[in-house]
Amino acid sequence: MAQVQATSYREYRIEEYVVAREPFYVPQSDEIEIFTAAYKQRIPVLLKGPTGVGKTRFVEYMAWRLGQSMGGKGSKANGAKPGIPLVTVACHEDLTASDLVGRYLLDTDGTRWLDGPLTRAVKAGGICYLDEVVEARKDTTVIVHPLTDHRRVLTIDKLGQIIEADPGFLMVISYNPGYQTALKDLKHSTRQRFVALEFSFPRPEVETKIIVHEAGVDEDTAEQLAKLGEKVRNLGDYGLGEGASTRVLIYAGRLMNEGVPARRACQVAVTWGITDDAQLQRSVDEVVTSIFA
Amino acid sequence: MSNEQQAGPTVHTIETELGRFPAPVMDGYKEARVLMQGRLREQELVNWAAQGLAIAGKTVRSWEAAAEFFKSSPAVQRQLSGGQFMRWSTVGADLCQESPSLAVAYFKASPGSLLRLRPRQIDEWAGLGRSLYRGTWKSSTLACRFYELTPNLLETLSFTEMTRFGQFLEVLSLRSYDLASQCLVEGCGLFPRLGTEREAFIGVAHAVAERSWRDVRAFFDGATALGTIDSDQRSRLLVLARRMVASGDVSAGDFVKHGSAAVRGVPVEYSGRLLEMAEAIHAVAPVAVTDFLKHAPTVLGRISFTQFEAWHTEGMGILKEGPEAGLSYFRGVSGRALEVLDTLASGVELSRIKDVVRVYCRALAGEDIELSSTQQLVEKKIGWTDSDIATTEGTTIFLPPVVDRFPSKDDNFAWYKVVSTHQVGHIEFGSFLFRYERPSTMFEDLRPLLLKSKAKDAEVAEPKAQPPRAVRAASPKTVAKSSAGKEPVAEAAAAPAAPVTDMTRFFDLFDDRTLSHDVFTVAEACRLDATVMFEYRGIVNSYRKVQARALQERPTIEELPMREAMVEFIIRLSLNQQADLKVPRDFMPTARKIARLIRRIADPVATVEDVSEATIRIYALLTDVPNNKVPEDEFEDFDPEEEEEEQQEQPEDQEFYLNSMSGEGEGDESQDSEGQEGEEQEEYESPQDVSYRGEFKPELAQLLSQLRLDQDMLDGAEPADITEEQLQELLEKSSEIEQQEGEGEQQQATEEMLKNLLKEMAKREPKDQDSGQGKFIHVDEEGGPLEATEENSFVYDEWDFRANEYKPRWCLVREKEMAEGDNTFYQDTLTNYASLVRDIHRQFELVVPEVYRKIKRLEDGEDHELDLVIEAMVDRRSGNTPSEKLYWKRNKIERDIAVAFLLDMSASTAEAIDESGRDNDDWGAPDDPVEYMVWLRSRRAEGLRRSYKRIVDIEKESIVLLVNALEMLGDTYGIYGFSGYGRENVEFYVIKDLKERYSGAIPRRIDRIAPLHATRMGPAIRHAGQRLMESEAKSKILFMISDGRPQDRGYSREGVEKEYAVHDTKVALTEAKRNGITPFCLTVDKAGHDYLKTMMQDMSYEVLSDIRLLPKRLPHLYKRLTT
Repeated sequence: MAQVQATSYREYRIEEYVVAREPFYVPQSDEIEIFTAAYKQRIPVLLKGPTGVGKTRFVEYMAWRLGQSMGGKGSKANGAKPGIPLVTVACHEDLTASDLVGRYLLDTDGTRWLDGPLTRAVKAGGICYLDEVVEARKDTTVIVHPLTDHRRVLTIDKLGQIIEADPGFLMVISYNPGYQTALKDLKHSTRQRFVALEFSFPRPEVETKIIVHEAGVDEDTAEQLAKLGEKVRNLGDYGLGEGASTRVLIYAGRLMNEGVPARRACQVAVTWGITDDAQLQRSVDEVVTSIFA
Repeated sequence: MSNEQQAGPTVHTIETELGRFPAPVMDGYKEARVLMQGRLREQELVNWAAQGLAIAGKTVRSWEAAAEFFKSSPAVQRQLSGGQFMRWSTVGADLCQESPSLAVAYFKASPGSLLRLRPRQIDEWAGLGRSLYRGTWKSSTLACRFYELTPNLLETLSFTEMTRFGQFLEVLSLRSYDLASQCLVEGCGLFPRLGTEREAFIGVAHAVAERSWRDVRAFFDGATALGTIDSDQRSRLLVLARRMVASGDVSAGDFVKHGSAAVRGVPVEYSGRLLEMAEAIHAVAPVAVTDFLKHAPTVLGRISFTQFEAWHTEGMGILKEGPEAGLSYFRGVSGRALEVLDTLASGVELSRIKDVVRVYCRALAGEDIELSSTQQLVEKKIGWTDSDIATTEGTTIFLPPVVDRFPSKDDNFAWYKVVSTHQVGHIEFGSFLFRYERPSTMFEDLRPLLLKSKAKDAEVAEPKAQPPRAVRAASPKTVAKSSAGKEPVAEAAAAPAAPVTDMTRFFDLFDDRTLSHDVFTVAEACRLDATVMFEYRGIVNSYRKVQARALQERPTIEELPMREAMVEFIIRLSLNQQADLKVPRDFMPTARKIARLIRRIADPVATVEDVSEATIRIYALLTDVPNNKVPEDEFEDFDPEEEEEEQQEQPEDQEFYLNSMSGEGEGDESQDSEGQEGEEQEEYESPQDVSYRGEFKPELAQLLSQLRLDQDMLDGAEPADITEEQLQELLEKSSEIEQQEGEGEQQQATEEMLKNLLKEMAKREPKDQDSGQGKFIHVDEEGGPLEATEENSFVYDEWDFRANEYKPRWCLVREKEMAEGDNTFYQDTLTNYASLVRDIHRQFELVVPEVYRKIKRLEDGEDHELDLVIEAMVDRRSGNTPSEKLYWKRNKIERDIAVAFLLDMSASTAEAIDESGRDNDDWGAPDDPVEYMVWLRSRRAEGLRRSYKRIVDIEKESIVLLVNALEMLGDTYGIYGFSGYGRENVEFYVIKDLKERYSGAIPRRIDRIAPLHATRMGPAIRHAGQRLMESEAKSKILFMISDGRPQDRGYSREGVEKEYAVHDTKVALTEAKRNGITPFCLTVDKAGHDYLKTMMQDMSYEVLSDIRLLPKRLPHLYKRLTT
């Protein structure tokens, strides 16, 4: 029931999805230690930083790593699988509290309650990762707050229930301060329930390593890609918002691996990906042609 | 028979008669008689004398004519037969009947004229003159002039031609005698230069005189240029001119002038083609021909003739579609024209690529880099002088305005790219971060040692006279400098008043600053080139190409004196010249050493400190090379030799460097420069700049960036411990400053530069609000696109509704922060309108709560909708497929509004509201800037004496009330004022920026809103639109409050059509709308309905019947607009 083996895909129940293989992650500083400590103390974690710097990857990595260290004992939900379940919810502006908590579905004879992803994570004792949390409706704070302080409870008013979180449960949210408008700032009352880890773009050496690993290109190419990333990020306050993420650099690298010429690969993966402004594209293209022969 | 009778009077009687006239008559008669005696028979003489008498007797003043008749008779008689002679005198007599002075001129001019006239043409000739005479004084002057100048005219004109000319004059004289005589005189000078096209010319002139006689003047002026071109072209040009005149509406003068200039501007083989093009244009739109010819030289300056043809063809296409668009195309003001030109031209203009390159540079440097034309740096007068050469001063990169070095556009662009990459390199790779104390990475540091020995030198060796070193004494300039520079060095050693910058401190080490600076420049450039090519591999190809090109431009080594040759050698080495590198044979070992040093620093890991160490070494090596010329065969190819073994620097080498630096290395001199004694050494001159590397002025750049840094830290306080004296010293010493002729001038130049530098340091935002009084830059409306060069200035296109296209970069908007006044106005307004304030608050409170709306029938949502569920169950029970849309969801309607208020601050808002019934349509300001200032001042003075409320006061009050209310709503809002004078001076005042939070400063700024100049709405709207676009709010509103129609100098075509301004404004508003901005216009101009209908079309606007309603109406409108 847990796992339906099909030809090429696997299906998991939300709360049973566990990161099984070690994700590649190069730490920027001491974030692994901090996260580990926070998890032990069950302090919710807030990840700050622009898109594509590895926030999601970090959460995956930590879920795997913490799961390893607990040797499966951490998850006692049904004792079947080792590791900590990871429930990721990408928030959008129409995401309401009931999308997280659950809702009634119409059944043959009446209605049936279906737990939302957050409820499942709370019950299963997993890490619930709310990506870009400020995007969600304000009513989500109502459920986030009791889960992130000493109470650790989830109120489901439609059911008239209160669920005490499994000891393994931890809420992690991410938030991108540069990108949101002032209107969509995280409220202080929410913010102060989390310890915050700041992510920025990795240093060129680190980024080179990441690109080498992820894209499978040689060190030299990776270095140049990292340089491109650095240069494009210099344009941050120039309408590019966040600059090129490590992700697009990796994509460019992968395309090159497939034999796409370097300049073209950068053009489609980086230049056109980050901006629609024709003039800015041209400038970025000039940077590309300067770096890649 | 009758002859007998007439012959009656004897000579005697005639003579007696003649004697009764004033003496000149008799004198003339007698003189002539003596001459003619032998040639005429007696009877003829009598007849002749009788004729004279008859003339004299005709009117009171005709004796003068008679005198002249006698005087010229002998000469005339010689050229004519008897009968002809008589005819001549009869014609004269007839003329005299009309006007004696005419006859005088006729007789006087006869001897000269008859040399070229056939006798039978006498009648006709006299007739020509007579036809110009119409009994007035002026006409007689003209006619006399004509006779007088006939000999001159006939020198070049045939009689027929002259007849035509005379006819032309006659036509013209009907309009203006003055003009006709002017043309007559000018014609004499002109015709010889026109070759065989005289007749054609006269023909055109005649046509012009008939069609638009005023233009004749310009036509004659322009015709001077005709003389400068080839006969064939001239005739074609004139034929065309004739047709142009015939089609009317065209100034023949301009045409001829520009046409000749254009023809002259192209190579002879193309001139025919050029005229064909003009003819082709003429066939479609005669008005465009002149513009085409006028603009052609400029266009041809950028593209080849073949490309020009393409440009023309494109224009013809546009012209055929619409004459107006074609006209502005050929005038070169239309965007299309520039675009086409740009595609065709191989040259690249900085202004076209500036933005791209700027962003590129910013990306590389990671700093806020500005890009500017070198022209501007030169104009700043802070030490840079050459506008053709790229450079940087630390934050701005200066590039030449146009590059056309390569045949292809891509290569030219690549040149720009290479240059900017190199210049950015100065910033990216830390050229200006040089620290004297920081150790180098590749060398044993000599700098600390040198400093010590220098100090010792200054103390101990001061009294010792400078040894007569041949090398040192080479340059008189150096001598002067080192003796002058001695004191500061000594001072520096004595008192710890350190030099201003580390760079200065470094250059202070050298006796010959110029040489050290040159060496440092090359070495640093070399390091940068190496670093850039390592870091940016994609640019290597272009880089090599540019380097190769730079090499081609280098002077020949062998022709230089030896030391300069060595510097040149280093430059060529740095430019990667592989073969054919010449060095003086005697200094081959030195060259090898230098080459080794250069190779070491041409390494991406080298630092600027390494370069400084290398500089010391190279400098030391160079001081041993005398600067005299040697024969070419003394040079041989550079041979790098066994260079590969990386030689470690030996202690004795260091010793050598130290010694020659401190001036004790003379020992070697005798060997090195042996045989050169007594030979003239030449003054050392800096090498020619490498074009792509530009002018590198590390000292100044470091100074400037230091100044800026200090300022940032101290935030406006006095710049840190850099005194004016220190600056002055730096400027005087620095070899970066071009030495000028003459002591006094030099002094002056330094002072000026010092002032400018200090100004540069103290550069703050222009706070002065009343800059309305300041100077205007006057840009001719006919001018071309503008460029935003200053900070906070922006250029916008303007819509030309006639041409139906944008005039690119036409208006310059300068954004300024409004100055602050006090907040009494704000407080008073709130008190005065207390009840209204309460009212507005009540209204706005209703807006505040977020509105939720329940949306039903969704596939997914917050919860089931009961009714739908029941329906579904019913369906199911009855065997139907139930709907899946069973959910409802609350949708929040967020108030996410950004609004920009745009206040009209034009002069007309100074009007008292009580008399606002006055017609606002006439701005009535003079067009001339000088007159305008006077007008403005008087208008201001009027304003000061006021005790009444002005329109602007009401505007201000309304804004106060609105601000007060908006703060409650929490909407994002900005308040801007605009005014201006001319397209280059659109002022945009920020009272509250959209991004700014409300603060005490806002009321104070509102206080300073005041009527200024005119109303060029278009650019202000575009700029406010830009501002709004930066906001991320869902609804964006542009709220314009104005008191009349848009108007400004040059905001119309030919200054009369108000349509132009209205249409531009309309297009600006449409642009805003296209960008998702809702424009709204509120005007207090009662006559507003007529133009607002056009201007706002499908957008909303309101015309307030009474300005006093504004405070009440504005918040109300705002509420309506946003809910």
